Amino acid sequence: MIEVEGTLKSRLAIWLLATVSALGVLLLAEAYFSSQRAAERAYDSQLEAAALTIAEAVQWEAGQPVVEIPSAALQILATRHQERVFYAVLDADGQTVSGNLDLDIAPEWRRRASSQPIWLNDAYHGTQWRLYGRELDSAGWETQDPVQIWVGHTMTGRESLTEVLFEHAVTRFVIMVLLAGVLMLLAMRVALAPLRRLRQQLRRRDADDMQPLDTRVPEEMREMAETLDSLFTRQRQGREALLRFTADASHQLKTPLAGLQTTSELALKSDSPDAWRQALVEVHGSAERTSRLASQLLSMARLRHAVEANATARIDALALLHETAFDWAQRDAAQAHDIGLASLPASPQYIQGEAWALRELLGNLIDNALRYTPPGSVITLGVVSHAQTLELYIEDDGPGVSPEVMAHLHHPFERGGRQDTEGSGLGLAIVDSIVRRHEARMQVESAEKGGLRVRLFFPYLTQHEQG
Amino acid sequence: MRLLVIEDDPLIARSLDQALTPLGNIVEVFTHHAQAREALQSGHFDLVLLDLGLPDGNGLTLLAELRQRGDTTPVLILTARDGIDDRVEGLDLGADDYLAKPFSLAELEARVRALLRRSQQRVDNRLAFGALTFDATSGVATLYEQVLDLPRRELLLLEGLMLHAGSITPREALENRLFGYGDVGPNALEVYISRLRKRLEGSGLRIRTFRGLGYRLEEVSS
Repeated sequence: MIEVEGTLKSRLAIWLLATVSALGVLLLAEAYFSSQRAAERAYDSQLEAAALTIAEAVQWEAGQPVVEIPSAALQILATRHQERVFYAVLDADGQTVSGNLDLDIAPEWRRRASSQPIWLNDAYHGTQWRLYGRELDSAGWETQDPVQIWVGHTMTGRESLTEVLFEHAVTRFVIMVLLAGVLMLLAMRVALAPLRRLRQQLRRRDADDMQPLDTRVPEEMREMAETLDSLFTRQRQGREALLRFTADASHQLKTPLAGLQTTSELALKSDSPDAWRQALVEVHGSAERTSRLASQLLSMARLRHAVEANATARIDALALLHETAFDWAQRDAAQAHDIGLASLPASPQYIQGEAWALRELLGNLIDNALRYTPPGSVITLGVVSHAQTLELYIEDDGPGVSPEVMAHLHHPFERGGRQDTEGSGLGLAIVDSIVRRHEARMQVESAEKGGLRVRLFFPYLTQHEQG
Repeated sequence: MRLLVIEDDPLIARSLDQALTPLGNIVEVFTHHAQAREALQSGHFDLVLLDLGLPDGNGLTLLAELRQRGDTTPVLILTARDGIDDRVEGLDLGADDYLAKPFSLAELEARVRALLRRSQQRVDNRLAFGALTFDATSGVATLYEQVLDLPRRELLLLEGLMLHAGSITPREALENRLFGYGDVGPNALEVYISRLRKRLEGSGLRIRTFRGLGYRLEEVSS
């Protein structure tokens, strides 16, 4: 069951977006503050220049400072943003020598400005002002008190410069993100190209094309491509086995059907009731064999149907053996034989398995024993508990088989070297399949009384698994 | 006895008719569930032989309907599907027995006879097999009309065997019947069996042992 869970593109995009957003917040904050600093620096140096220009215009008359504010200084202060400007020249007592606004210069500021030039932010009439103050030394004249020069302006110019600078930074950032996004999409197209190639190749394949893949893949996809290849190989093998089996099965079914056809044809040509009777007997026997063959082929096919879910359960081997033996002992085919159970362990013995398959397994072994032993033979089923395994066995006191034949017994369509009895030889092959399906082991040997003994060793369920 | 056969294959239906009629039965054959359903609702039958796969529906539905109505007519299921699941489902729904196709007519006859006998026993509460009879109400067994004077455990054993006459009675069932659920020696039951065997000598009946499985009361000729 394939469940589609987003796209690789969206996954990458989400990761990229998250990273870019986090970084972007930091970057933009940094850009804002540095824009602000740049604007500050630019306008502060304007204030400084204006103050110097005014300083140069200060004259001394009779020990008193006199100043004629030069228009150049005012031009420097007045930016193109229609700002309001302020200037003041203060004497040593803090009295205004010249000024345009009654903005109060606090004594604390004057004290600080006397040692070195200072920048201040101040609110006046509800507006933010940037002020610059410096002291002018009267070097070159005698006994003159220093004067302080203060200049300032409102903040509009700074703010708009900050805005402009920040806008530029944001624009650059957005362009970069867009470019990165486009580049990512392109890179993904390139990176996913092998996957697309593989997909197209798989789509073009015929349903029964099981050849290995012929494509170039990057290292990351090698494992997947190899897995696909091995899947194809297994499917090819499975299909070949199925074809072989179907051919075998058809051949097997054709033989008794041909017999039925010729026997009945001959009988129809004959006029003798004795010949009819003889033919009917043969037809009856052959029909019986054919239907048994059909049901065995069905079991075989069911066993080979690998897709079937592995529906194993915990099974009490004793109950299963008892039930199967009971079922078979009642059947018509078993009336001439002595079928029975050896004494069984007292407590249940659990194995892991599929009940239908195990019944089929035991049924085939019992059926074989009934067919390949003369009437009156004793057939015994039993259970022996070993350390690691649980053994189910079935033995008879029939004629047995020779050692060289024994090795081939579980090949399909092998009849223990005998052509005299009915049967297809499928029984033990079915048994063999079921045994392997249960990870069990089968051992065929001669019984003490000369017959055949088939022993099946199943892996035990531990106490823990049993609980 | 009146038998209802529900089977759509004409060859099999004819064989069933020809095999069961000589046994003294009236056999009615239907090829569709719809007709069979009507017949079952209107008349009494002693046994139903039911093919599961018919063109107009699954036979298990018909069986379920029958049992839901409280109709206990014995039902023998015939089917080509011998999957164990179908079998279990059929028996769960109240089928009395199950025979997978292809089957031999001898086997079919034996099953039919057993089912009819059991259904007869249910009616008159009297067991009969060959020359043996057992009246469950009075607890009297007779052989060739002669009352058999049996000790209690042998009588219990005989009743147990006759309940399943013709098929195997599980050993555990007999042991429980005779000795209760306590522990008994492995040979305790065998002692009573051999006593009963002696009494049945020359009666045309015998008790056959199935090692480790149980015992079957059967006619010597079979």
